[in-house]
Amino acid sequence: MQQEVVLAMLAKEPSHGYELRARLQQALGPAGDAMNAGQIYVTLSRLEKAGLVTCEQAAGLPDRPDRKVYALTADGQQRVAAWVTDTSWPGPGLAEFHLKLIAAAAARLADPLAIIDAQRRELLRGLRDTQRAAMAEPPGSDAALLLEGIVLRLQADLRWLEACERKWTGRKDRS
Amino acid sequence: MGKLVLTGRLAARDIRRHPARAVLLLLAITSATTVLTLGLALHGVTSHPYQQTRAATKGPDVVAYLPVLHQPGHRPELSPEAAELTRAAGVTGHAGPFPDMWAVLRTHGLTAGAEVQGRAEAPGPVDQPKLTAGSWVRPGGLVIERTFAEALGVGVGDRVTLDGRTFTVAGIAVTAARPPYPNLCYINAGGCMGDFPSGTPIPVRDIGLTWATGPDAAGLATPADPLAAYVVELRLGDPAQAQAFVTAHSESQDNAGPSDLAAWPGIAAADGLLVQDEQDVLSPGALLAALLAVASVAVLAGGRMAEHSQRTGLLKAAGGGPGLVAAVLLAENLLLALAAAAAGLLAGWLAAPLITSPGAALVGTPGAPSLTFATAGEVTAVALVVALVATLVPAVRAARISTVRALADVARPPRRRPGLIAVSRQLPVPLLLGVRLAARRLRRAALSTASFAVTTTGLVAVLSFHVAAGQYQAASSGGLPDPAVTRDGQILLVITVVLVTLTVLNAVCAAWTTALDARAASALARALGATPRQVSGGIAAAQVMPAIPGALLGIPLGIELFAAASHIGRLVVPPAWWLAAAVLGVLISAAALASIPAWAGARRPAAEILQAEAA
Amino acid sequence: MNEKTGPEAAGGTPVLRARGLRKHYGKDAGLVRAVDGVDLDVDAGETVAVTGPSGCGKSTLLHLLGGLDRASAGEIWLAGRRVDQLGERALARLRREAVGFVFQAFHLMDELTAVENVELPGLLAGQSPRAARRRATGLLERVGLADRAGFLPSALSGGQRQRVAIARALVADPLVVLADEPTGNLDSEATLEVLRLFDSLHAAGQTLVIVTHDSRIAATADRLIGMRDGAFVDQTRLTGGTTGSLGALAGLEG
Repeated sequence: MQQEVVLAMLAKEPSHGYELRARLQQALGPAGDAMNAGQIYVTLSRLEKAGLVTCEQAAGLPDRPDRKVYALTADGQQRVAAWVTDTSWPGPGLAEFHLKLIAAAAARLADPLAIIDAQRRELLRGLRDTQRAAMAEPPGSDAALLLEGIVLRLQADLRWLEACERKWTGRKDRS
Repeated sequence: MGKLVLTGRLAARDIRRHPARAVLLLLAITSATTVLTLGLALHGVTSHPYQQTRAATKGPDVVAYLPVLHQPGHRPELSPEAAELTRAAGVTGHAGPFPDMWAVLRTHGLTAGAEVQGRAEAPGPVDQPKLTAGSWVRPGGLVIERTFAEALGVGVGDRVTLDGRTFTVAGIAVTAARPPYPNLCYINAGGCMGDFPSGTPIPVRDIGLTWATGPDAAGLATPADPLAAYVVELRLGDPAQAQAFVTAHSESQDNAGPSDLAAWPGIAAADGLLVQDEQDVLSPGALLAALLAVASVAVLAGGRMAEHSQRTGLLKAAGGGPGLVAAVLLAENLLLALAAAAAGLLAGWLAAPLITSPGAALVGTPGAPSLTFATAGEVTAVALVVALVATLVPAVRAARISTVRALADVARPPRRRPGLIAVSRQLPVPLLLGVRLAARRLRRAALSTASFAVTTTGLVAVLSFHVAAGQYQAASSGGLPDPAVTRDGQILLVITVVLVTLTVLNAVCAAWTTALDARAASALARALGATPRQVSGGIAAAQVMPAIPGALLGIPLGIELFAAASHIGRLVVPPAWWLAAAVLGVLISAAALASIPAWAGARRPAAEILQAEAA
Repeated sequence: MNEKTGPEAAGGTPVLRARGLRKHYGKDAGLVRAVDGVDLDVDAGETVAVTGPSGCGKSTLLHLLGGLDRASAGEIWLAGRRVDQLGERALARLRREAVGFVFQAFHLMDELTAVENVELPGLLAGQSPRAARRRATGLLERVGLADRAGFLPSALSGGQRQRVAIARALVADPLVVLADEPTGNLDSEATLEVLRLFDSLHAAGQTLVIVTHDSRIAATADRLIGMRDGAFVDQTRLTGGTTGSLGALAGLEG
């Protein structure tokens, strides 16, 4: 489980382990079925060791990870802020971007539409550069094939970003 | 059985969905079947009425014109032959001898010749003319043969003069003993051998038959203009022997002077001349109309092929095979053809009395001529054949297109004509577009040429008729209208109307389908910078250009057709400016008819059309 | 307002300018606002891409700009001249001389060869056949199809057909080329061909307005306009490089 994702889930407010897990499961839906509790808690302990997260044991509750309360440190918050604006791609994958939007909206870290827009521009630039490189290649070269692959994936991702934009605009209109 | 019902139902549904096309098809074939029905009805008319008249008037089997013996100081006497004839073998009854005179008849400023037969006031055993108006002869009262009376424009009670003497028209009658006006002199016996007083030249076709009392007729004789002949009319025991009787007794003449005998078959034939005339006009007219109908149907059925393809594709996709597809297409057109046959039969039946009140002298039934099963069968067969001929090719083609292509709505792509494309580059824009549009569907252009050729042929034939009629009229100095000419003129009018209707229909259909076909091309032309006027000019040009050779071809064809149909024996060529006017009229109408859908199409924004065509 | 010159008569006039463009169909309950208040400025030599979901009105907008359809409201200037009020004949002249159109479905005449297709606008404009043929041959060379001049469209690939169509659009040396989903019917390979051509046109200074939902084309434009429900919703100029490299995009860890 990506560290940044877990960090982001805590950005809104400190929460129990099990709350964290519940929120993740709700956000991921079936894609999160394969996720088990252990992965989250392992990540949390790593984050604690790295000083990005603090962990408290609520008085009177057994010493189990899901009963502990986790919160972001100042470093942790900085890391989250940087992560939200990071547009490198493909990065760890769709799930991360998806969670990024949810976390950003929930914790009011940033406007999801702005995130989407920034990512879109980045992808378009990538597409532009790839396209230019492809045009410069002699047709049928090996490199041309790879470039075409990049182009097709970028196109697919852009279409998904458009879908994200439509959905998040709707959500915004309703709220 | 189920397949048949299915076919029928699909065809009916399709007809309901394209009502305009169905109506046009119906009109086209109905015009042809109407003319055909009229032609066939006329066919049946020839023989019957004469027989009816013969029965009604106790018509004679032999009519004999016997010479008169003139001895100074004595009354004119009949030659002894007369008595011999009435007692000859085979004769069972006779009437006459009647005095027969020729006189100049004048009335209403018209001059004609009259054969005046002197008759008893009481009815006789043979040849008692049947009155259609008024009463029989009386002193000072003249009875006139019906067609003659019509031509003179006289009715009962009017006054006419015979050789200067005034008579009142007592009645109008028909007879089977002589052919009716204007064919009175056309049989080879007793025909108009008399002289008219003071050598007044009366053309042979201006002579008609009248009856007066014996003394009145004889009283017309003057020393300068003596009694012409005595007429004796015979009834034979065996009417079939009439011609033999005539042959036998014509040889045995004595030298008292020529005598003439005529048998009733000859009279019947001469009587049929008027109807024969009309038939000569109706038959080619019907043929032209049928040709045009075929062309219309071909255009309508072959037009908008893409729509057909899509429809057949759906049929096939829904489980029908090529057989079903072809069957539905054919069924549609055959259903419409059947309806058109029925409509044409009805229209022809209603219109026939106007045309076939035959040789007015005969007592025919003035009502409907007999609509025999044979006629109905022939007309229906022709309608079906017309529909079949025109739609067979598209139906077969539609059945052979593969389903996938049909669903993709790929209309038969236009064949490339490099020659025409190259030529069109040199032309101004509307003609460039027109040539290229026409080149895309050369078969339709050829059809257009053919149909305009047929139309112009008809028009030129009509013009030739009018020229011939005028020449004919000019030859007749008496001023009487020739009923043959009048009647033919009326029939020709009907045919002309039918031809023009069919041509307009044809032109509208062709223009409509061309405009539809050309929609994408013209939208593209507009998107590329052609003005709406250039585009509609192009569409109109695409119609008119094939029409030009057709119209020009129609001129010699029309003259030939008239020469062949009219038995005149020489070519009657209408004046050049009449021909020019006819051709120009045809072409201008073609252009005008073509411009309407073209103009309508040009109004729509090009974008819409391109979008639709690409979809 | 003076018809001859638009609001900016001085140098630096945008080649194409639209203000308040609207196109409505139907009325009352059935009213469809295909184009709903569009303002646009296109400078000379610029490539502008208009993207958006289907039905957002981008094709309609292009038809309005090219004079293929009439706007319900709004003004359009081409090289400083007001064109939305022109009659059909003047519009036709406009299409002949100032605007080149490229369609998604190519719209080549099936029975004409490539060179005959390309020379058609010239012939329609009244040029002599020889001059039109010369220009057409030259343009086919320009798009790299000189050896296919005598081929019928059915013998050409999709990309080649569209290139012929682009050559046709260039016949009158137009002020602006309007392209409506030019790669909509093309596969990847053919799209690249067309993109190369657009790129070379851009390099030669041709003004292009391209309506597309292909992000590849959008990415290479100078300016990218997003459209939704008949109106522009954003505008992007893709300046600068990417944060990552092509390698990263290909999945190679940096």
